[in-house]
Amino acid sequence: MIVKKPWFTVVYMFVLTAFFSSAVIALSRATRERVETNRRIALERAVLEALAVALPADASALELHALFTQQVRPPAAESHGAFRRVADGRTLAYALPVEGRGFWAPVRAVVGLDADRQTLTGLAVYEQNETPGLGAEIAKPGFTGQFRGRRLGAHAPRLRFKRPGLPRAENEVHAVTGATQTSVRLERIINAAVDRWLQRMNERHAPGSAQTR
Amino acid sequence: MKKRSPADVAIQALWRDNPVFRQILGICSALAVTNLVLNTLVMCAALTLTTAASCLTVSLLRKYTPDRIRMMVQTLIIAFYVILIDIWLKAFWPEMGRALGPYVGLIITNCIIMGRCEAFARFNPPGLACLDGLASGLGYAFVLLAISVVRELLGMGSILGLPVPWFATHWDKWIIMVMPPGAFFTLACLVWLFRSLAPNAEGTAK
Amino acid sequence: MSTHTELWHAMVVCFSAVFTGNILLTTFLGMCPFLGVSREVKTALGLGLAVVFVMTSTTVLNWLVYRYVLMPLQLEFFRFIIFIIVIAAFVQLVEMILDRYSPLLYQKLGIFLPLITVNCAILGASLFMVIREYRFLTAAAYGFGSGIGWLLAILAMAGIRQKLQPARIPRGLQGPGIALIIAGLMALAFIGFTGVLQ
Repeated sequence: MIVKKPWFTVVYMFVLTAFFSSAVIALSRATRERVETNRRIALERAVLEALAVALPADASALELHALFTQQVRPPAAESHGAFRRVADGRTLAYALPVEGRGFWAPVRAVVGLDADRQTLTGLAVYEQNETPGLGAEIAKPGFTGQFRGRRLGAHAPRLRFKRPGLPRAENEVHAVTGATQTSVRLERIINAAVDRWLQRMNERHAPGSAQTR
Repeated sequence: MKKRSPADVAIQALWRDNPVFRQILGICSALAVTNLVLNTLVMCAALTLTTAASCLTVSLLRKYTPDRIRMMVQTLIIAFYVILIDIWLKAFWPEMGRALGPYVGLIITNCIIMGRCEAFARFNPPGLACLDGLASGLGYAFVLLAISVVRELLGMGSILGLPVPWFATHWDKWIIMVMPPGAFFTLACLVWLFRSLAPNAEGTAK
Repeated sequence: MSTHTELWHAMVVCFSAVFTGNILLTTFLGMCPFLGVSREVKTALGLGLAVVFVMTSTTVLNWLVYRYVLMPLQLEFFRFIIFIIVIAAFVQLVEMILDRYSPLLYQKLGIFLPLITVNCAILGASLFMVIREYRFLTAAAYGFGSGIGWLLAILAMAGIRQKLQPARIPRGLQGPGIALIIAGLMALAFIGFTGVLQ
């Protein structure tokens, strides 16, 4: 029973669009909080991993968040964007969020640095969209595990990526086989962020430096 | 249009109208996710759900939709379900959503769904239309899964992320299967296989 | 980020959209006309040029719509349908303008325009631009580069298929089969460009 009046088409289209749009908008609102939480948890987990905090296997989001609030302080003015792991009022380690362009899409990671700002406690990549099996390996423990215990070099680039198979120095890690582009970019991202952060931290802590900013 | 039994409808969509025989075009854009079986499973689930739901909805509305705007209405309906899936993924499985990238959204432009809506759902009762949509989606899924199993097995020695006994250790992994050319070659071989085995299922080789 | 590095980044993205990240050969988008139409170089050229134009324009338009309409209203999830509408409207507009001001051009390219609307590559380019969080200049460069890349791929495919006409291809491979193999070989060749520009 198709109503053949000319206005029916317009009304029909309008009603249909309104109906579907409202359904979609309602669902989106309902899940908005959850999406935010997912993001938050991903970052918190990455911070904990970069700081080499022991995580219970299959930790729930709630447990992770509890652990995070317990051990980690949010970035303050003195830490120039880095999260701090504190105990008894002392800073044990820093977790610096870094981001930049990967081969395909933005890569976001957290670099963990010891209180001496020389030794790395770890790396955790929490957002990447590189090729599975190749570039995407940077998110896997097999790759990130090697960052723990590395010491930054004295000159830029402080952390170097070396070809797999070759022996590494204290400030070197192995790149991912077959993922030269992703490795190069990650190297650049980490070094740029770490250099910038170290510069700011050293300015602050250098004796007699002006405490601006 | 004469009455067709549900079994007949399903078989027609699953085998005779199977993408490898007829609708290679619809598969192409989803080839990108076939490097991992898990991603392919999710993609196929998304597509099958969308096809079935869209065909059902189009069929329900078939008596009211003015003929002139039917393409717009179909696109609207398909987009609706795709957006629902996208929202769901973002909320409950963000890594998969990111891994699948734009391909979930591109389901909207997939010729298979639009084709089924135009050719079948428009003229048939909801039950049959839904079944046809479901079967079409599954036929498509079957092909994509075949490709993804080959790609992940030969390229990474695993299936669904789990290492496969002999492949993980003794197989010299074919990197090409991890990269796009591998998808093209695998699909080509599949097409070759199917068309050689059952040349009569397709009219003329085009 | 300074304009200088943004410009350089835009150029790198453009280059990679043409070669290493070719929208057809690496992200598999836009295959439909690729497998069907690409038998004659002239037709391929016409279609390809139309795609370059539409892809660049719609990527820019969609960037603007996403940035200034969808994001402020927090309606990002509507991008799928909005992008499709923008693309369809744009193509319709171009068709009308061509028809009015250049009937000759309309004769040549007009038939391709409706084909383009369903070309997943056009929608895909806009979606990728959102996922990769490109800024304006880079998004425009990406749209342009993707179009050129698609044009290149379809031209090469048409040329190769023309040359293959007299060859004896196994029956199972005729048609889509051999086209896929050609595409695979081209994809392999284009990978060779990786790392040329940093």
